[in-house]
Amino acid sequence: MEVLILILRSFANVVVVLALAPLFEGLLRKVTARIQSRQGPPLLQPYYDLLKLLGKEDIESGESPWMQRFAVHLALATVLTVACLIPLGAPVPLAGAGDIILLVYLLTLAGICTLLAGLAAGSTFSLIGISREMITMIALEPLFAITLIIGAVNTGTFRLETVLDGSVYAGGGVPWSGLLMLAVMLLSFQAFVQRVPFDIAEAETEIMEGPLIEYSGPKLAVFKYAQMVRLVIYSSLFVALFIPWGSHLVFPIGWLLFWAKVLVLVLLVTLVAATHARYRIDQALRYYGGLVGVSFVALVLAGFGY
Amino acid sequence: MVAREKLNLLKDRFGTAIQRADLPAEDRLFVFIDRASVREVCRHVFRQLDARYIISIGADDRPHSGHFLVAHNFAFDRDHLLASFLTQLPADDPKLDSITADVPAANWAEREFRDLVGIEPVGHAYPKRLVLPDGWPEGMHPLRKDVPWNHVPEGFDPDREFKFDEPPEGCTVVPFGPFHPTLDEPAHFRLYLEGEMVRGCEYRGFMVHRGIEKLAESVLTYNDIPMAAERICGICGCVHNVAYAQAVESAAALEIPPRAAYIRTIMLELERLHSHLLWVGLACHIVGFDTLFMQAFRIREPVMWIAEKISGNRKTYALCVIGGVRWDITPELKTELRQVLDKLETEWTAVVAAVSKDRNIQRRTRGVGVADARLVKEAGLVGPVARAAGVPGDARRDHPYAAYDRLDFDVITADGADVWSRVVVRMKEVFESIRIMRQCLDRMEPGPLALDIQDELPVGRMGMSSVEAPRGESHHFIITGENNRPRRWRVRAPTYQNLQGVPAMIKDQQLADMTISLGSIDPCFSCTDRMETVDIRSGAQRIWSQEELLRLVRRR
Repeated sequence: MEVLILILRSFANVVVVLALAPLFEGLLRKVTARIQSRQGPPLLQPYYDLLKLLGKEDIESGESPWMQRFAVHLALATVLTVACLIPLGAPVPLAGAGDIILLVYLLTLAGICTLLAGLAAGSTFSLIGISREMITMIALEPLFAITLIIGAVNTGTFRLETVLDGSVYAGGGVPWSGLLMLAVMLLSFQAFVQRVPFDIAEAETEIMEGPLIEYSGPKLAVFKYAQMVRLVIYSSLFVALFIPWGSHLVFPIGWLLFWAKVLVLVLLVTLVAATHARYRIDQALRYYGGLVGVSFVALVLAGFGY
Repeated sequence: MVAREKLNLLKDRFGTAIQRADLPAEDRLFVFIDRASVREVCRHVFRQLDARYIISIGADDRPHSGHFLVAHNFAFDRDHLLASFLTQLPADDPKLDSITADVPAANWAEREFRDLVGIEPVGHAYPKRLVLPDGWPEGMHPLRKDVPWNHVPEGFDPDREFKFDEPPEGCTVVPFGPFHPTLDEPAHFRLYLEGEMVRGCEYRGFMVHRGIEKLAESVLTYNDIPMAAERICGICGCVHNVAYAQAVESAAALEIPPRAAYIRTIMLELERLHSHLLWVGLACHIVGFDTLFMQAFRIREPVMWIAEKISGNRKTYALCVIGGVRWDITPELKTELRQVLDKLETEWTAVVAAVSKDRNIQRRTRGVGVADARLVKEAGLVGPVARAAGVPGDARRDHPYAAYDRLDFDVITADGADVWSRVVVRMKEVFESIRIMRQCLDRMEPGPLALDIQDELPVGRMGMSSVEAPRGESHHFIITGENNRPRRWRVRAPTYQNLQGVPAMIKDQQLADMTISLGSIDPCFSCTDRMETVDIRSGAQRIWSQEELLRLVRRR
């Protein structure tokens, strides 16, 4: 019976994420359009887009079609697995199934799927795209890992439900390390969700969507879906780590509050994306480098109990 | 008289090599020079007299004089003089010395007359095919007078592929084009990349040839051509329309009525407004700043509406006939135009303030795509690219036409020589355009719109006209002819020269900067590719063969 409930709760998380991700994307597009003095597409357009793409012919145009199909599905599967390991306005469903180390690995795997997809496509542009993606990943991955480790240091455990509950502020006194990481994550958040000014790996006007260039039809739909879910997952993680207050209130209130916070974060992403130009990879790298430096300082502070 | 002075200078130096000269006006000079001293004279003009290279033209003049003709056109910008150095070549030996060693900017122009007229530039450093499609048979030159305009050559080989150069050692090849989301028109840059650094490139363009020049020389008549001319370009069509009309008027020594001159000025500036607004938007789009892209287009829209109210079209205004214009600006339109300008000025001030403060955009454009004054001279770059490098060239002031000599305006320059300087120049030029149009509206007097031309235009006269398009100087050269049409009409759009500067601009910088560097010259491939008859698909993956495509098209 307990197992059944566990499965049902995990399933609920997956369904909620799958159902809401295109809505957030639609909202993002609509708000962007309003900022740009445009009418914008209907709020539900991303759902239609996915349906349309899923209904199209599955063209095999890359170097290794089998690998391409595997990569896009793995990408979606990975982010959905992450969805079972984080609190989405309710306790973590699969809390006992893993710890934050697993979470770090899964988040990295999601990035690797993009690399795999680009590599399997094998076009010049996708190769340039994944080389940029790889540079970004190497620079960015430590940031989330350090945040989680600071939480673990503060709470003395790797348990998901403890760490993913504002643990960064759990140190004694003024949580300097937590506040520092909050700043770092806010400044790098656009890069995690791959939006302007850090959509360098896709950069439509330079390398024509990079890793995505050879994808169309259902494969593109799955890939795009994974990216939409990624936005929700990272926003949820951010909320769980840095703005946890109110999530423990009784069911509808706590749940609604959680998604309201995610919504605010998505709107923030939209606003930043609409008011910036894309960085060049070397400029972005210098920027990431600074953030990584600051996050190591935060880690040391956490080690000393701040 | 400047033309006379220059001619005397040349006569003193070259003596009998100067065969004869024609000085039809104070600001025009046609000099016939001996074939043997072409290179020497051009070097002297380009280096010692510091003239700006415009274009070289090849013409088949055999039916009239029994010779081929080559003209090298130069501009003395500070002296307000356009000069053409012509050489006659015997019909059985159409060869002359290439001037590319001394005037690198002549690279494309010489290859073009080699392709199209079959005049051999001896000693050209890079005599590769430029304009003709890959499968076109050798020895078949479409701009010769014995080739009919609708001739389909024997021995066309649709399967022959273009031979690209070998990339340098250790570089990977990245195809930029023939179709790319930032280009909107076909052109193929083969980039040689070392990591993310561009080390060189090869250009293959001329994929959208429409045979407009051949058509004009064999089918259309004087007053048809303005309408064809403005279809050379979808952005700066009016420029070609006016430049052509002016070239004919200069050949036939016609003076247009003042009101027509003012209306031409207004329409040209209106076109500059819409083009500059469009360009700033596109530049923002290229660096990923779509919000400003959309806002620029929103601000631009009223310009298109007022153009439609004046001419009936958002674009392709169909403005000129020989000797005047076709549309009047009525008092109601005048009031409305003033309102559009006022609103535009306010909104544009806000955009300029936003862009000037945006460090993000500046970081992407400063120090990028550098074309310094030296490159401007060597490659013959024009327009905002030259002005951003501190070279104050502007045909409106240097070679005044329409009503520009009666107006007060500034030539905007900057000194960064990079993409950012080009952004600044274009943004400020919008205000100058507004200023010019307001002056025109104030000073326009009632009067006739066009000359009443009763007689046939004189035959065998030459005319030149430079018009400052939004992207730089558009130059038209014409030789008047029989049957109410020109014998030779050559169009040189600004992109023709500016594109030749791109390889130097993108060398040794990041791939990410390639698009904005190319975008910064505001490339117009349809302007550049304006000639010839057959379009061909070439490339590794051929789905349709040339013949299949042709059959498909002809079945319609």
